[in-house]
Parts: sequence; C-alpha cells; structure tokens
Amino acid sequence: MLPQIAMATGFVLILMGLYGALTHRNILRMIVGFTIADTGVNVVLVSVGYLPGRTAPILDSAVPVADAATRIIDPVPQALVLTAIVIGLGVTALMLAYAYRLFRARHSLDISNFTELKW
Amino acid sequence: MVSAIFIIAVGLGTAFLLGLVKSDQKGFAFTLTVAALAVMTWIAYDWTVALSRGTVEPATILTAGTQPPFAINLHIGLAEAWLLTVINATGLLAAFYMRAALCRLGKGAMSVLLVMVMALSGLVLTRDVFNLFVFFELIVIATGGLVLLSEDARAVAAGFKYLVVSQIVSILLLIGIIFTYHANGSLNIDDIAAVPFGLQGASLAMFLVLMALVLELKPFPANGWALDIYESAHPGFSAIFSAASGTAALFAADKLVAAAGPAWLPLMTVIGLFTFLGSNVLALKQDNDRRLLGYSSVAQIGLVFAIVGQRDILGEGYLFVAGGVLITHAVAKAGLYWISGLVPGRGLADWAILRANPVLVFAFASFVAMLVGLPPFPGFYAKWDLMHALAGSGRFWIMALILAGALVEAGYMFRFFGYAIKRETQERFPGFAVDKVAVVVAALAAGWALGFVWGGISLNPNLLTLVPVLFALLFIVLEPLPAWVKNIIAIVGLVGWFWFRMGNYDPLQMIFAAVMLVGGAVILIASFYEHGRRIGFYVPTMLMYAGLALLIEAQTSFDFFAAWEVLTIGSYFLILRGRMGEPHALSYILFSLGGAFLILAGFALASTGVQPFELKSGLSAIAEASVPAAPWVFALLAVGFMTKTASIGLHIWLPGAHAEAETDVSPMVSGILLKAGLYGLFLLVMTMGRQKIGSIDLTEVLVWIGAISALLGGVMAIFQEDAKRLLAYSSISQLGYAVFGLALMNHVGWLLALMFVINHYIYKSMLFLAVGGVYKRTGTKLMYKMGGLITLMPFTFVSVLIGIIAMSGVPPLSGFGGRWLFYNAIMASDLRLPMVLIFISGPIGFLYLFRLIHTIFFGQLKDEHRKLKEAPVWLVIPQMMFVLALLAFAVLPGMALQKVDAYIGTFFGDQPLVWSGRAITSTYGYWSPVAVMVVIGVIFVAVLLLLMSMGLNAQKVKQFNIVFSAERPFKPQTTHFAWNFFAPYRKAVGFLVMPLVTTFWGAVTDTLHSTADFTRRLYTGNGQTYAVQVLVFVVAVYLIVLGGAQ
Amino acid sequence: MTSNFTSRAAVALVLLLLLGTAFWSLTTGYSADAALNRTAEYYAVNTPAETGAQNVVTAIIVTYRGLDTLGEVTVLFLTAAIVALVLGQSKAPRGASGSGFLPSGELLQTGTKMLLPLILMFGAYIFVNGHLTPGGGFQGGAVLASGMLLLLLADPGKRFRKAVIHRVESLSGLFYVLIGLAGMAWAGGFLDNRILPLGQFGQILSAGAIPLIYTLIGLKVGAEFSSILESLEETEDA
Repeated sequence: MLPQIAMATGFVLILMGLYGALTHRNILRMIVGFTIADTGVNVVLVSVGYLPGRTAPILDSAVPVADAATRIIDPVPQALVLTAIVIGLGVTALMLAYAYRLFRARHSLDISNFTELKW
Repeated sequence: MVSAIFIIAVGLGTAFLLGLVKSDQKGFAFTLTVAALAVMTWIAYDWTVALSRGTVEPATILTAGTQPPFAINLHIGLAEAWLLTVINATGLLAAFYMRAALCRLGKGAMSVLLVMVMALSGLVLTRDVFNLFVFFELIVIATGGLVLLSEDARAVAAGFKYLVVSQIVSILLLIGIIFTYHANGSLNIDDIAAVPFGLQGASLAMFLVLMALVLELKPFPANGWALDIYESAHPGFSAIFSAASGTAALFAADKLVAAAGPAWLPLMTVIGLFTFLGSNVLALKQDNDRRLLGYSSVAQIGLVFAIVGQRDILGEGYLFVAGGVLITHAVAKAGLYWISGLVPGRGLADWAILRANPVLVFAFASFVAMLVGLPPFPGFYAKWDLMHALAGSGRFWIMALILAGALVEAGYMFRFFGYAIKRETQERFPGFAVDKVAVVVAALAAGWALGFVWGGISLNPNLLTLVPVLFALLFIVLEPLPAWVKNIIAIVGLVGWFWFRMGNYDPLQMIFAAVMLVGGAVILIASFYEHGRRIGFYVPTMLMYAGLALLIEAQTSFDFFAAWEVLTIGSYFLILRGRMGEPHALSYILFSLGGAFLILAGFALASTGVQPFELKSGLSAIAEASVPAAPWVFALLAVGFMTKTASIGLHIWLPGAHAEAETDVSPMVSGILLKAGLYGLFLLVMTMGRQKIGSIDLTEVLVWIGAISALLGGVMAIFQEDAKRLLAYSSISQLGYAVFGLALMNHVGWLLALMFVINHYIYKSMLFLAVGGVYKRTGTKLMYKMGGLITLMPFTFVSVLIGIIAMSGVPPLSGFGGRWLFYNAIMASDLRLPMVLIFISGPIGFLYLFRLIHTIFFGQLKDEHRKLKEAPVWLVIPQMMFVLALLAFAVLPGMALQKVDAYIGTFFGDQPLVWSGRAITSTYGYWSPVAVMVVIGVIFVAVLLLLMSMGLNAQKVKQFNIVFSAERPFKPQTTHFAWNFFAPYRKAVGFLVMPLVTTFWGAVTDTLHSTADFTRRLYTGNGQTYAVQVLVFVVAVYLIVLGGAQ
Repeated sequence: MTSNFTSRAAVALVLLLLLGTAFWSLTTGYSADAALNRTAEYYAVNTPAETGAQNVVTAIIVTYRGLDTLGEVTVLFLTAAIVALVLGQSKAPRGASGSGFLPSGELLQTGTKMLLPLILMFGAYIFVNGHLTPGGGFQGGAVLASGMLLLLLADPGKRFRKAVIHRVESLSGLFYVLIGLAGMAWAGGFLDNRILPLGQFGQILSAGAIPLIYTLIGLKVGAEFSSILESLEETEDA
C-alpha cells in the first residue's frame, strides 16, 4: 500500500503544480507551479522502485553482498530520479533567467503580455 | 572506422574546452567550434559511406563495458548514419552562417551550439529510453539558449513559451518511462520492442511516452510555440530547429513507435495526417516568410510521421520512403531558412530581392521543388513508392489526404516563389554576404547530390542519368553564354535527339515526336530575336522538351509520370516568365500538379503497388481482365491528362498562361505542351478502350467534355479583346475537337485527333508568332487599338491569313481535310447531341478568326502606327516555314497520315479510308486535296482579277478625308468598330460565357483561405494557452484511444 | 478579466481531472514487484564484482548509466552558460551591482569565515565517498556551491575569480570526457570505470575510476552552481 500512497501523493502534486502553472498568469508563479509538478514526478519515480520490507541499495555491513538481490530495493529509479532532479533544476534556472529577461523588457511578469508572436 | 561515440565525445569535449579559451579570443573559439563540428560531420559521413557500400556492419556501441540492457548502449545503422550526417552537416553549415551572431555572444553560445548538435546526435544513437530523455532535455535547454542568438526581441518570449511546453512534455515523458520500466524491467528500447504493447493495460505508460515524443514533433494544433520560434529565431538556428531537431525528434519517435508495436501505427497515421493537412492549410494565410516556412516545416514532419504510421506496409522500402521525405525536407528547409536570412524584409514579396543573384533564385526554385516532391529530388521517388504501397494495400483515404495536403503545400510554396520572381519590394538591396550565400549553395549542392543518390537506390531509373534531363541541366552551366549560342545548342539538341531516336518510334510516337521535338526546334528559331543572355529561359525550356521527349518513349508508368512532372516543372517556369504571368503560372502549376497527383493515383491503383508497371501491356491487361478498379484508373488518368489539354472545367489556367507568355513561349506552351495531355489520352483509350462506371460509358463522358470544350472555348474566344487571349481560348476549343475525336472510339475519329495534333501545332504556333510580332511592334495586344496593318506587315498578314484558312476548316487548306475526316467520324458514331454542338462550333471558330484578321489588318490604320515596320525577321522565318508546311500538308496529307491510318487500323481491324493516289475515299464520299486546291485556286484568281479590274475606277482619298462631328468621345475605344465586335452575339449567347468554372475554383480557394484565417486564431500567442492546448491534445488523443480500444 | 480567469481555471480543472483519471488508473493498476526485476537483480548481484562500489546507486549513476550522468553534468553546464548569456545581455554597469545592499552584519561575516572551510571540506567528503555511502558528486557539488552562496551573502559586492571558476568547470568536464574515452581504450567501453584497479571492496580508494569521476563531477557541479549564482548576482537588480 505504501508505494500507492506515495505514488498518489506524487500525482496529486503534479496535478496541483500543473493547475497552478495553467491558471496563474504571473510567470514566477507558473515556474513555481512547474517546480511543484517536477517534485511530484520525482516522488512518483522513487515510489516505483520501492519493494516492501527491503532496504537501501548500499552493500555495507547491513547488507551482505551475497544477499543483496533479496534485501535491497530497486536501485534504478533512484539513479533516474537523481538525473531527473538535476535536469529539473537546470530547466527551472533557465526559466527564471528568462523570466528576468522578460521582466526587463516590459516591466511585467504577466504571460498574457507577451503575445506579439501569434497566428 | 572511428566509433560513432566520438561524435558525442568530440562535441562535448570541445564544448568544455571552450571554457579554457580566453573570452576575447573569439576567432579562435569559433575556429575550434567549426573544427569540432567538421570532425563530427566527417565521422557521420564516413559511417554513411561505409554502411552504404557494405564495407562495415551496423555497430552497437557499449558503454561501461557491460551488455545492454544493463548499461546504456548506442546503435549506428544506415538510417542513423544518414541522419547523423544531416544533423551534423546542418550544424556545421549553420555555424558558418551564424558566425557573426556567435561571435557577438561569445564562446558560451558556441558551447551551446556544440552541445545542441551533440545531443541531437545522441538522440539518434541511443537505444535507451531514459537516455533519450536526457538528450531531449539537453536539446530543450540548448534550444532555449540558441533562440537568444536572434536580434529579434520577441524571441525571448518565444523561448519561454517553448520552455513552458517542454516542462509538460518532460513530465509526461518521465512518468511514461518509469511505468514502462516497471512493466518491462528494462529501459532498453530493443527490450521494450521484444514485448509489443497492445493498446490496453500497460499501454498507458507507452501512450505517455509516445505522446511526449509526438508533442516534440509539433503536432497540429498543439504547436503554436514552435511557430513562434520559427518566426523569431535567428534563421541560422531555425534551420537547425527545423532540419536537425525535427529530424532527430522524428527518428526518436520512430524508434519508440517501432518498439511499441503495430497496434499504435493507425494512431500515428492520424496524428501525422492531421498535422500535415492542418498546417498546410493554415500556411495559406501567412504573410511572414519565416512563419510560413515554419508551418511548412511542421506539416512536413507530420507527413513523415504519417509515413511512420505506414511502416507495416512499406517493408524494406520504409527507410527509402521515410528517409527520402525526411532528408529532402531537412535540406530544403535549412536552405530556405538560410536564404531568408539574406532577405532584409519579412514579407513574402520581399524575397524579390533575390533576383539580384540568379544562383539564389535557382536555389529557391530547387528547394521549393524538393519540398513539393518534384523530380529529380528524393521526395519524388519516395512519394512514388509510398503511393504504390498505399494503393497496394487499399489505403486510398491516406493516399487522397496526402496528395491533397501536398497540393495545398505546392500552392503556397509556388505562390511564394511567384512573388519572388514577379513582385517588387520596397527593401533596399543590401548586398549578399558571400559566406552566407556559400552556405546556401552548399545546401543546394547537397539537395541535388541526394537526388542523384536516391535515384540510384531507387528501383526505377535515375532521372539524373537520363540524357535529355542532363542536356537540359547543362544549360545551367551554359547560362553565362549569349542567348544565340544557347539557342543554337538547343536547336541542335532537339533535332539531334529526334534524329537519333527516330528509328525507335512507332507511327503514333513519330507524329508526336515530330511535333514536339522538330516542331520545338522550329519555334526556337523565333527565339533568335532575343538579345543578351536571357538568363533563366533555356533551362526551363529544355526541361520541358526533355520531359516531352521522355514522355513519348515512356515504357513504364514511372517513366511516364517522371517525364510528366519534368515537363510540368519546365513549362511552369517558362509561363512564369511572362510579363503578367504570376497568377496564371500559379494556377497552371496547381492544375498540373493536381492532375499529376491524379495520374499518380491512377497508376498506383492500376499497378496494385507492383513495380515496374508496363504502361501499355499493363493498362490493357487490367482492362481485359476488367478488374473492378479499371474504370477508376481510367477516370483518374483521363482527368489528369485533361488538366493539360485544358478541357472545360479544368481550363481556367490556360487563357492567362498562354496570353501572358513571351512571344516565343506562347507557341511552345500552346502548340506543343497541350499535346502532352493528348498523348496521354491516346495511350489511355488505346489500351483501356471503353470503361464503364455503373452504366455510364466513360468515353461518352469524354465525348461530351470534348464537345462542350469545343463549343464554349469558341464562344469565349469570340468575346476577347486581347488577340493572344483570343488565340488561347481557341486552343481550348481546338483541343476539345481532338478529345472529341479520340473519344468517339472509331478509326476516323482517332485519325482526326492525330490530324489535329499536327494542324493545331502548325497554325496555332504560326498565329501566336504573328500576333506576337504585331505586339512587338504596336506594344498592345488589344485588337481595337490596331487596324490597317496589312500594308505595313504583309508577311505577318499572309501567315495570319493562311493560319485562319487552315484553322477554320474552309477549303483548300488542311483544316478542310480535318473537317472532312471529322464529319466522316461523327457520321460513324451515334451520339447525336454532342454532334450538334460540334457542328455549331465550326462557324463560331470562323467568327473569332474573322475578327482576328479583320480588326488587326483591315480597317483604318492608327495614327501612332504609321511608321511601323514588319515584325522582326526571326519571328517571320518560322511563320513562313509554317506557311509552306501548311500548303504542303494540304496537298499531301497522305504523307503523314497514311502510315498512321494503317497503324490505327491495327486497333480497330478496319480500314474505312481508301488511299488512292492523291485522293482519299470513305463511305460518305471522297476528298482529293489536289483537286480542291486547284479549284479554289482558279476561283480565287478569277475573283482577284475581277476585283482588280473594278478597282481601276476607284478614287483614292486620304484616311481623314471625312467630316468629324464636334463631339469628343468619352471612351475613345468605344468608337472603334473592333471594340466589342460581336456585341449582338453577346446578347444572344452571353450566358454561355458566364465564368461559372472560375467562380467555382475561386470559391474553393476562398473557402480554404477563410478556414485558414479562422483556425489560425487558435494561436493566441499566449504561452499559457499553448500549454493548455498541449494538454488538450494529449487528453483528446487519450480519450480517442480509450474509445478506440473498447 | 475575472470571467476570463474563471473560464481558464475551469478549462484547466476539467483537463487536469481527465489527466487525473489516467494517473488514477496508473496508480490503481500498480502493484509493487515481489522480487527485483532482471535489471535490478543484475545490479544487485554484479555491482561489487564489476565496479567495486558499495553504493549500487552510485555504480549505476557513474558507470552503467554513465552516459546519462555525463548528459546531466552537461545540463548544468548548459544552464550555466545560457544563464550567463541571458543575463549577460542585460548586465549592470560595472561596480554598480550590489551597491544597493546594506552591508551584511558582523555575525554573518565572521560566521562565513569560520564555516566556509568546513562547508568545502564537507562537500569534498560527500563526493569522495560517493561510492561507499549515500551522496556523490552532485550532492557534494551543491554543498560546495552553498559555501559560495554564503560568501556572496556575507559580501554582496564581492567578485569571484571568474577565470578560476571557468577553468575548474572546463577542466573537470574535459577530464570527465577523457576518462570516458580512456575506458574505450583500456577497458570495456566508454565510461568503463575499470581503467583503474577496483581495489578492495569498501575502501575509499576502490571502485576504479568512480571516486575520480565523482570528484570531477563534484568540482564541476560546484563550479557551475557558483557561476550561475555569479551571473544572477551581477544583474542590475541584484
């Protein structure tokens, strides 16, 4: 049950984040929304690797090498989530820099003010 | 071989290395960047060559020394190698192109470019789905950086919108990936492929992955963000965004679609087609060049994606077809964006500035041809194979939609090209940067080279190895020579080819070849009157003749279709050269391409996808076996051919195109080009005979079409004020006669049609040259502005006189022979009503011809024309040759027709005409040309002498020896007797010339345009709205899939 | 405007509800595996022998999925470069930036001097031990950069030696690529960590090139974050 709860939490975070990003016109709030959604994605990612009753995939004294296959959880999602976090961070930084640039251009952070390009 | 991973290592290593270069050493940093890109391109190219030759095997590259799926692996096969070459070469050329911008922003921007190209390569190479995600994100971020190279301030907003959408895409992708991993226990694409996903169950994960990849392909209508980037980014980068990013994203999607399994293909087809059609229609309303190219780009990627959806039926040809379209698009679109960077204005007409440099015009034309899928470029071969595969498996709707979309795309691309050739721009010519032009030329060369390669791989003949085509292309190199030298070469080429091939022709081919090749050479004599170099005339002209020469000798359906397209392209450029030719050339190419697509569909249907398809035996075979598709094949082909014969309903392009063409071009496109359609119809009725849809006999429909064309063409001709337009409408009428004769399906009817081929060529060429000569001297084509030219231009008068006698079918010239055959033919048929129409058309023909000669040569001479001279001698010479030919043909029709008569006899097994000496006998009477000639000659001389003797008593007065009233006319032309010459007839039959057909086609285009204008308002420009649209798209497709799965 | 807002919100709500049903079916259809799947099992069984790393996640990140990690580092590199480009075009006049700030307090300045060496050391500890304990190059690098942030907070007008940061960033990235290529030359393939001896399992100097790579990653990530901070700090409004 635990993974489902974590997963549902992750999905709720994603939907909440997206809702924020789609309804707030302020660019900074949109970015915050996406950050929340990214976090939700990461929660979902980690929850998929979880196996009930197992431990972290570090083969120190707690987990003998020989028993590893039966004692540890799936390490792959953990590796993936690290990559996903870093990438999410990169994109967020870039969006913030863009937001700054947009603000400098028009002294506004309202996304509906940047519609010269259309049709 | 250098491992392909070095493409990644070199790109990345150099990007990092640039950090060590001092900020002020921008030149060095740039050199380093270009060197790295060159090495990457070389590695990719090396693999392409080696894999194509088979000297190496496709390779799997392991990382971490561990077998997949436990470590990430890369794979390079032929498809990967090709795409890597395209991507890296685009990056290399773009770097050269963006040199100034890159140096302005410094080494950081160069690193970003390197990472971009590296990541695109990685996307192509990787076989791991999460690794795919990483490369995707790299591309997203690098795109966000490179958008800033633009000096357009709006680009920042476009970049932000892109990032917003990418966030949604990456959320979907990650969730899809992790659940795919959970379902499969592997992230390796080949592992996923081993267990195909159905549309249910675990498929939701695969759905999310696929949707994320599809969204990267900018599907319509969730693609506003991409269009904004296309419009505002640096054109050098737009080239990468379209050519390299689009290509890589498509390949990534293809990899996963293949892995997902065949159940997903229909969905991909629908999304692809929707995008292809939607974006193309929306592009119609674009007036910004880069946005227009963006729409086209999106549409083309959609097309390729639709092809991805056909991979189940394409089999081994899949890479050839999908790759052909994809790579052609990449080269063409990159080239077009690079050209757009040379043009200072953003309006479509601003491209007129390119006329300062013929090389760029040639490049523009080539790129447009590549996009539209014309020969000799890869898209052409791909389109051919694709249509055959689709026809072979009964996917007719997909065929129809693809062809419709392609036609719309041809519409706006050729309109765009027409603007560049004919419009004027307000922009000042800035001078073209040599290095940027060099980049465009590199893309141009690549496009042609690809055409050669694809032609070589194709199972069909390589068009770039055919002598006539090469001969035509030779004139590109010869352009710097003076026109007269080129003219001599052209004439020698035409006659020489005819001479060389003469032995292989059967009588039918012989007649067409004589008219098209030798006839073409005669018309070219008139071209000697042009001075200077006449840039851009000989290449299209010779392409048209090359197409015609190949058409006659076509053995297979491919030969025929390729020749048809070649002659269409050539003639389009030729018509576009006319003074006011722009709109007419556009409608010409649209009708022609529409017709060509019908022909393509017809051939594909006939062959049921099996190539090569022998034209004659193949068509006869399906007619004999009376397969259910046969009448549809007949109908498709017939309508296709009739776009060239300009039969009523499909004729609206002709009057303008012929009337506005240059003096020596009008006879080519009228006297010769129209015959291509007739040749096609000949082949069709010869091989397939009578076909019925339901109870309707299609040849009877043709009879009707021919009769109505003959009648209405004539009626419309009599109301023209413009002499060349009059002749043009008369062509519709004349070709109507030919179609009519052909469709009668009897011996004499066919003979008649053939006689029209020769006659119409001679007198229409002659008349067009004569009127052209008059136009040269008077500066007008309006007949009421002329008059009394008989004494000033006696030779021209003679040729018009002879032409009219021949054409109106009065004795003694060959037109009479034609009439005579004609009445024989209809007597033998039992279609009464069309017969009546044809009978009526006879006198109508006389009316407009009478007007032509009467108003130009008789009546009062205009004051301003008193000092006119005879037409230029080079225009008169071919006319006199035609006069002689007409006289000879009148006396000795047997010399051409007897053999053909025998040949036709082999089809009908009868011999209704008896050729005895100089007389021809039929069941209804006999015709002795010599006797007729003698009798007429005697009568003519007698009347002449009588008139002359009466003229002795006449009193000579000066022209203005009459009394004027004091009134000054408000519209001077209304006082001229020649103005509205046939007003009484207009009252009587004017309803016949109501422009119903023009209105119809106008309504079609208007509807498309207003749909486009309405729909494009979807793209509000608001980044948040775009994000909503992306989600709507995903959810909508999800619901459709759910509905489809249940 | 309000009506526009609510309609937008309604559309978004409906859309997300529909998307939510898809997520719902993913959640309800999910059941945790009873045993490791074959990929995970392979890692659990073979990591010690093949890579010599105690931390299986690290082995995956640095070796088995090393190409991802290289891409990840590149993401940060790109972000740093682009943020510099984005903000560089609207740079404040020299010497003007930061001047609007009040000087930071004595406490912060002194605290920084005391904490900075510790923070840097802690960061280094995290990435050097990445193959043994939780942690690694990214975490360590982020800690390093936090030290830099502290420095900036303590003295907003301060300038880092930009050249040093860029050189660290470039050299560590370059060496990372070169180590990857060395794997092709002397071991099983790109980014194979066995170019160095695997050493004894559980020791700090073990697991082949993993500690080396993680050190490079740590330095690079630290440098990249610092350079992003620096770009942000240099803007006029900072």
